[in-house]
Amino acid sequence: MAQWQEVQSLANAYLEQVHQLYAGAALPMAVRQCLAAWIEDQNWRQAVEPLSSHARMLFHSLLALLGERLGSPGLGDEDFMLKHNLRKARRDLQAEFEECPEKFANLVANLLQEERRILRLGQAGEQGGAALAPGTPPESDREQQIRRRLAEFHVALQEAERAFRHLEDLQDAFDFCFKVHYLPGEDRTSDPQYAQQVQALQAKLQILDRQRREVLAQMQQLLGRSETLRDFLQQELGAWRERQQRACLGAPTDTRLRPLETWFTELGQGLFQLLQLLRALGDLRQKVTYERDPLKAETPLLERRLRELLSYLLQSAFVVEQQPSMPNAYKRPLVLRTATKFSARARLLVRLHDRNHRMEAKIHIDRDPPKIKGFRKFNILTSSSKTLLAGDSPQDGLVCDFQYLTLKEQKDSRSGKGSKGTGEGPLVVTEELHLITFTLAYAYCGLELELETSTLPFVIISNNNQLSSAWASILWFNMLSSDPKEQQFFSAPPPAPWPRLAEVLSWQFESVAERGLSREHLLMLAEKLFGSKPPLENTLAWPKFSKDGASGFSFWAWLDGILGLLQEHLKQLWKDGLILGFVSRKQEKKLLKGKRTGTFLIRFSESILGGVTCTWVEHPTSGPPAFRAVVPYTAAELASLALPDIIRDYQLLVEENIPENPLQFLYPDIARDEAFGPYYSQRQEGNLMEQKKYLNRRLIRVSSRQANESCKTEEELVAATENLEALQLQPGGLGTQQPGGLALLQPRTSGTLQPRDRGTLHVTSGNLGMLQPSSPGTVQGMAASPGMLQPGGSGTLQPGPQGLEPPRPQQVGSGVSEMLQPGIGDLEPQLVLQLVPEGQGPLQVGPGGMGPLQVLHGGLGILQHAAPEDQGTQQVGPGGLGMVQLVAGDTGMLQQVGVGDAGLLQPVLGPVQLLLLPEGQGTLQPELRDLEPLPGSPDMQELLQSLTEGLKPGSGTLETLEVAELMPDMLEVMNGGLEGLGPRLAGGTALLDPHDPFLPQPEDTALPTVSSLFTAAGDFPPLHIDANDFQ
Amino acid sequence: MGQRSGRQERSKKLELALSETMKAEAEVQNNKEEDEEPKAKDQRLTSVFGVADLKNEAIGLYNVGLSCCLNSLLQVFLMNIHFTGILRRITVPPHAAEKRRNVPYQMLLLLEEMQCGKQKAVSPTALACCLSVYRVKLFVQHDAAQLFLTLWNLIKRQMKKPQLVEELNDLYTICVQEHLACQKCSSESKRNSSMLTLPLPVLDSSSHVLKTLEDCLQCFFHPEELTDHNMCFCEQCGRKTPFLQSMKLVHLPQTLTIHLKRFCFEKSADIHKLSHYLPFPQDLDFNAVLTENQCQADDNEKAAWKYELFAVVAHSGSTSCGHYCAYIRSLTECKWYCFNDSEVCQVSWDDVKCTYGHSNLHWGETAYLLIYMKKHPQ
Repeated sequence: MAQWQEVQSLANAYLEQVHQLYAGAALPMAVRQCLAAWIEDQNWRQAVEPLSSHARMLFHSLLALLGERLGSPGLGDEDFMLKHNLRKARRDLQAEFEECPEKFANLVANLLQEERRILRLGQAGEQGGAALAPGTPPESDREQQIRRRLAEFHVALQEAERAFRHLEDLQDAFDFCFKVHYLPGEDRTSDPQYAQQVQALQAKLQILDRQRREVLAQMQQLLGRSETLRDFLQQELGAWRERQQRACLGAPTDTRLRPLETWFTELGQGLFQLLQLLRALGDLRQKVTYERDPLKAETPLLERRLRELLSYLLQSAFVVEQQPSMPNAYKRPLVLRTATKFSARARLLVRLHDRNHRMEAKIHIDRDPPKIKGFRKFNILTSSSKTLLAGDSPQDGLVCDFQYLTLKEQKDSRSGKGSKGTGEGPLVVTEELHLITFTLAYAYCGLELELETSTLPFVIISNNNQLSSAWASILWFNMLSSDPKEQQFFSAPPPAPWPRLAEVLSWQFESVAERGLSREHLLMLAEKLFGSKPPLENTLAWPKFSKDGASGFSFWAWLDGILGLLQEHLKQLWKDGLILGFVSRKQEKKLLKGKRTGTFLIRFSESILGGVTCTWVEHPTSGPPAFRAVVPYTAAELASLALPDIIRDYQLLVEENIPENPLQFLYPDIARDEAFGPYYSQRQEGNLMEQKKYLNRRLIRVSSRQANESCKTEEELVAATENLEALQLQPGGLGTQQPGGLALLQPRTSGTLQPRDRGTLHVTSGNLGMLQPSSPGTVQGMAASPGMLQPGGSGTLQPGPQGLEPPRPQQVGSGVSEMLQPGIGDLEPQLVLQLVPEGQGPLQVGPGGMGPLQVLHGGLGILQHAAPEDQGTQQVGPGGLGMVQLVAGDTGMLQQVGVGDAGLLQPVLGPVQLLLLPEGQGTLQPELRDLEPLPGSPDMQELLQSLTEGLKPGSGTLETLEVAELMPDMLEVMNGGLEGLGPRLAGGTALLDPHDPFLPQPEDTALPTVSSLFTAAGDFPPLHIDANDFQ
Repeated sequence: MGQRSGRQERSKKLELALSETMKAEAEVQNNKEEDEEPKAKDQRLTSVFGVADLKNEAIGLYNVGLSCCLNSLLQVFLMNIHFTGILRRITVPPHAAEKRRNVPYQMLLLLEEMQCGKQKAVSPTALACCLSVYRVKLFVQHDAAQLFLTLWNLIKRQMKKPQLVEELNDLYTICVQEHLACQKCSSESKRNSSMLTLPLPVLDSSSHVLKTLEDCLQCFFHPEELTDHNMCFCEQCGRKTPFLQSMKLVHLPQTLTIHLKRFCFEKSADIHKLSHYLPFPQDLDFNAVLTENQCQADDNEKAAWKYELFAVVAHSGSTSCGHYCAYIRSLTECKWYCFNDSEVCQVSWDDVKCTYGHSNLHWGETAYLLIYMKKHPQ
């Protein structure tokens, strides 16, 4: 805005100062107003110089302009007074300054300067006032400063240009005089006129010299100020980088680049203008130079300084706007999978380029690979270079957008070891950090530079089951490193201070389920990690975060399991704060103790991956309050029935009692239906009668007796029952609606090592007209017709794999209860099958394998006891081998194998084919846990032993079960399980096709592989396992 | 920036300053009898002139031929009201010829010219000519630290009144005590000396970059062991022994000048500039920087060791060619100004911070002289 306009918009107090300024001045305000733009555009300061014709010229121009105005029709009659005033002013000025126009120039220069001073004061005052005014967008001090300084910079630049033009004029005048008057050849020292002329020439040269020095001083000043501006922009950019890094971690921050782009462009533009001005100065020197010409010494200096400044500015203006990420990575950038598309984008914030010059951008991966043994090398497929496109509109800026990139590992990637080398490098793949570098050949206004910028380090995985641990690495790096080029970060990863880690963990929950972690949550986590030590001073080491864990999985694996569960099933409940979530057992008791019977809370299991459970309190008539908890639900269960529905229909089976729902009030004191009402799925109560032709289904459990016990007392059995879950499923409309009935059966029994699952048997009875396990394949066919029970097919047989005394969990699902196909029984000495027809009341579950089986049946059901004691010997696979093997005497062997998506199973030796139903695609397939071998190390055996012992006396109590839950290595969930499976078994007998490209490298699986919600469907090929291999 | 320096040069440098100072002191003795003016009058004048300074905007000085260094130093002198308070009381030389050759008088004239006119800048031609009499040539790149010493000594020598000379001394001289202790017999020799600037190294003894100004001060006052060929002759032991050389701070003046030795010799003769980042504080408390045994002063003296940054003389460019400018915080308005020859503009602390330096930018402005002012003058 022009100065005079700005002056007029000042607050009254400052306007008063302006009035005072003009009250005593020889220049009337009317003239100032009338010729505002012209007056501001002249260089009055320079005109003040003695011996300058400039002042006279300006003075006469002013008078002439005034005359023009007076004569112009624009003023017309409407402002007769103004015209009169101007006429008078013109006369006065002429009278006063005709003889000394320099004085007039000085007067105007001082007036303008004073105006600027008042203006500064006024604007500073306004800013102070504006800061108080409500509703103004919060703008940081620095942003304000940048804007103000940019404006000042432009004004100063204009002034410098004006000074330069004046210099040009002076030089032209001098040049002319010099050529005309200076005649060196002749000896005219005696000519007084000539001497006078030379003297005048000398004076002109003095003025020229001074003007040159002044322009140079102005430029020095400009450069000095622009350095400050550059520092400010640098700080802003640094803050943006930090924000981007945090945003990558899931923090809710603003990562817009637009303001920065505007500022960088403005400053860049100004500096390029300055560069041109400097070059023009150089040209002036070419025309006229003299001894001790300041241009000669100082222009090169200024130019070097300016070039350095510009290069630095441009270099830092080249930024990675979008860090490399896969398209559906769902808020987890910087983890790339080989052969999967990803994109990355860089931007040059200085939006200046020469349209005639094509600028080429290139990308390189790992340009300076760190010297780590076994560091994998990759190629970027598809084009790695691109012409920089300036978007059609200038708004778009200068962007290098690389999309549809894929990575391929180089053949000889791991030096000397072949592509599938044993990976002796110190880093596992998920700790190997890679970088993509963008380069841009920039050229503008004669400045040529190679700009370069790098992405944040990313992790390259080959399989989805590495995603979780890869993300852990990304979290750790971005949380603790500020040097994006530190590719060797994981050679010695620093520990994380708890406050920082807590914040980052909270962001994970915020980005997945829109609600971060509360103070209480974080306290519980801190206690879990550090015990009772004050958490603020604690640090967590990387291995403790991502690798070791007392429960067989790491802290991160546990959290990520929960994140997966939230993402898939509990998002809304978590978001609305219905899940208390992270509550320790101690805390949970404290919370519930004072509440009435039936008060419950929902928390995440600490013992299994991705599990959620309800704990409720009961106040018996005598004795201390009892706390009960349901065996945690995992994604597999929740997929078939949502948690609110589970809570609604939850039933506790107590002997000789009518089942009741113990979950009455959500902590602290909200009626269950009030809290969860909005989340219940639609029930078709009206259909109940119509559905009579079908049986209702109900999930029940089976407890199996311990192997060495021949009989069990009734009480024990009851106790066992009580502690297990009873689940009742209401008939859920049509058969097609329930794909889960059977699916529910499989996943949780994970072998002997998880005694809490022991004896849990889900049997569905009733009306599953259609069985629809989510994976296509043989299963569906078998279960398709109602009235057929194909336990081998749709049910699951999950004999415990390892040689432990505790009874193995058995699960049998049957699709339909009317008919049982004979033949299963003789396979299964261990198997307990109970079918509970509708309305038959609570079911008593028979003891484990060796004992006689109790079967209750209703009218419709057929009971089958599948495990005659003497039918066969049971062989238990040795711990070390870790295979699932059941030898049922001469009936052959039972092989149970987990299957991937295709649901294909090929037990070879057993006469019976078992098919496991895979759960819904992309969710947990925990049945594969059963296949995990025991590590076989002595301490593990010991642990198992002690566990077993611990289990014997009180297998029915919750506490014991919890101990059992802590078994290491048993709870690892395999996602798409096959990857995890292969290498583990490989020790004994290899079974997996070694050529399968999807198989992970051994070291990949050294980390606990963790289920993840980010698995895309169809990633894994069916796996074929030969039963022979397990021996 | 042409100054030879480096660690080993420190003592030589001190001697230079010392010899000048001693000469001046001798003159003080000679001129003592001329001191006739009553003290009270002087003080009254000081206060009047002190306030009178800078009633206008800060005024620039035209570059009269590579005089950016001189200009910057002149601004630092003339913006210092404590200095101008002394300057205004000088005796005017009687003859025109003497006037032309009298540096303090020419400075005073320049000050008057800057203050009375409404011009944005004045030309220090007369002063420059006067200086050239004393071998301070125009059209020559000067080193600011060197020129400061020369200028100061000239001013002091040409001031006739001992009273003023004493005041000038008080205003600028730093007193230290040098200790030299034999490591064998623990005999110790002390020597008091005074300096005009604290020439601080910006690299430590193993050529590592020092992080802050405080570190530089620490390094400067850190005792140094003289061993091997640096050993000195101990009179008690009667042979060359290793010595421990240390320096203790005795007194700090009102106006404290710190010289950052931002240059080093890479291959013997070749000097290059060190432009790395070296932050300096606005407020500097020597008690917080130095340890107890690095000082040799009473509590009263130490209590006054709280300083505020007054000016920065910054250099841009390389050792062979460059440009000086000065950032000065006006003592009356408490605002920062940047003086680039004839260009003067008001700036903020952020601009001053830009002179901290930058390891990747070698042509930008870096602080070279730091002038601190005592917060509570005694």
